[in-house]
Amino acid sequence: MIAVDHLQKSFGRQLALDDVSFAVPKGEVFGFVGPNGAGKTTTIRILATLSAPDGGDATVGGVPVSENPAEVRALIGYMPDFFGVYDRLTSGEYLEFYAACHGVPRRRRARVAQELLELVDLTDRRDVAVDTLSRGMKQRLGLARALVHDPQVLLLDEPASGLDPRARVEMKELIRELRRMGKTILISSHILPELEELCTWVGFIDGGKMAAAGPMEEVRDRVTIGRRLRIELAQPSDEETERVSALLRDHPGVLSVRPLPDHLEVAVNDEVEDEQLLSALVEKKVRVRSFSQVAGDLSEAFMRLTEDHRT
Amino acid sequence: MTRRLLQGLDNPIVVKEGVSRMRTWRAPVVATLYLSLIGAVGYAWLNVDIGVTQQSFGAVSASAIGSHAFAAMAFFQLTLISLFAPALAAGAVSGERERQTLDVLLVSRVSAFGIIWGKLVASMAYTLLLILTALPLFAAVFLFGGIDPSQFFVSQLITVATAIALGAISIFWSTLFKRSLAATVMSYVSAFGLMVGTAVLSTMLMAAQFTAGRSGLVATTGAQTPGLPALWYLNPFFSLYEVLFPQGYAWPTLRTFLQLLIFGPGAGGYTPIGGPVVEPWHATIVAEGLVAIACTIASVWLLRGRRTRPRRRLEPLAQEPA
Repeated sequence: MIAVDHLQKSFGRQLALDDVSFAVPKGEVFGFVGPNGAGKTTTIRILATLSAPDGGDATVGGVPVSENPAEVRALIGYMPDFFGVYDRLTSGEYLEFYAACHGVPRRRRARVAQELLELVDLTDRRDVAVDTLSRGMKQRLGLARALVHDPQVLLLDEPASGLDPRARVEMKELIRELRRMGKTILISSHILPELEELCTWVGFIDGGKMAAAGPMEEVRDRVTIGRRLRIELAQPSDEETERVSALLRDHPGVLSVRPLPDHLEVAVNDEVEDEQLLSALVEKKVRVRSFSQVAGDLSEAFMRLTEDHRT
Repeated sequence: MTRRLLQGLDNPIVVKEGVSRMRTWRAPVVATLYLSLIGAVGYAWLNVDIGVTQQSFGAVSASAIGSHAFAAMAFFQLTLISLFAPALAAGAVSGERERQTLDVLLVSRVSAFGIIWGKLVASMAYTLLLILTALPLFAAVFLFGGIDPSQFFVSQLITVATAIALGAISIFWSTLFKRSLAATVMSYVSAFGLMVGTAVLSTMLMAAQFTAGRSGLVATTGAQTPGLPALWYLNPFFSLYEVLFPQGYAWPTLRTFLQLLIFGPGAGGYTPIGGPVVEPWHATIVAEGLVAIACTIASVWLLRGRRTRPRRRLEPLAQEPA
């Protein structure tokens, strides 16, 4: 649905995008991950027809962005990382205005606005001035605004930035709902755990270059070596921590042991049975408070990839 | 063409701007202030004129009082409009940038022309509303006589044309500059140039002609024909003065006006030759119309540059048969 092929973009002497390529199939949620200044916004702006690439191609729904930007605009819903709202308009008027800008027929505008307010759970704010809404509400309204013309593709640039934890959860739920509706979503962020729960595909960008892109599991498997376990000791003294670390290192299949302030992080290969490892520790009189698998390997994958990429 | 015009009027930006503008306390306050000031000028002029006329002649000439009060109000209105129009339009596009709403607008289906046209119509709608609300005040003075309907109509036409030209110039600066402050400053510099600069420059040109031995006034066809530089014709105040206090000059024809525009007045002034006569207000309105069109086109061009422009893919060259 989205295809980016050898994209190049410079701002003066600054190379913002250097041979960036990735693809997002229809109906997938693509997490576009990278630190600030990596080139995420530049790529999204090219896809949103707001900036022309210096080289390479980008297509949305098979339509080349550079050749037919007007047709691409009809296919995409765009939510920038920072956006303002028009004061003195109510939420309903705000959505109706953008519906008119996207050519929604006059008789349908009020209904579209109502349906979208229901979707983003702002029905009770329909007649409230937009500038009095909280940041989280404005973000949800911004997402509703991106949907006024029922686009197939959503380009969301850091949609959760600046939101409190509750608003983040609401935003995530909303994006999941949009995926269920069959939308193809490209969502950029530098907060990895958020994307890990949400995305089915992922792309890492750093310094204007793509480090990896593809289905989430594939990228994670490609980068992550084995699994990681979190073992919390009941008596985490220095001696006990050292003794347990030595025991773990001697256990077959354990790749590394990393003592952290309140627990041990153990990398194991796929042959290690968690029950056997725990039993071995208990047999050696180790008092274990908790034993679990570490979720969220995306951060490590990202760090590993970007480090490889920089060296 | 008609369909495009109707579509132009059914512009979501016009509706949105209108709703936003009329919801502020500023809209009624500015309108009240505007009407109060024009009314006060008219009333003061009537009283002063009545007093002066009574002292000088012992009898009041209603038509003279009416024409003077009307002129005072018309000149004051033109001054106010030249102050209001830039303020209303200078933040039109730069304000969208500052609010971070422009990108979202550019990703919609509204064309660059639609955005600029919407902004121009929206800012001009309020200015025209001000001019419209002042009409009853002018009509009241009109009852004294001394002003005929064509003078009434043309004086309002000059004001409207000036408002549109200044609005389009301000929107151009607003599209060019990222900041509304810079756009506002340049809009007022432009307004000053049109309203005062043309007069100052014309006067300097006339002085230069006079010292060079080319007299400013030449008698032709029984009336005095001013050998004025063409720049004078573009000054709205001068045009308004000539409409309200006609001097009976034989104005140049289109052909002589074009000669005047290109070569300046000759040593013997000019001799009107066949063709339509160009009165100053004709030249002012046409020039302001052209400026408005040029600024609108330039603004659309600048705004289009902020979007990806359609690029033609080069067809691969046909292979030469081996």
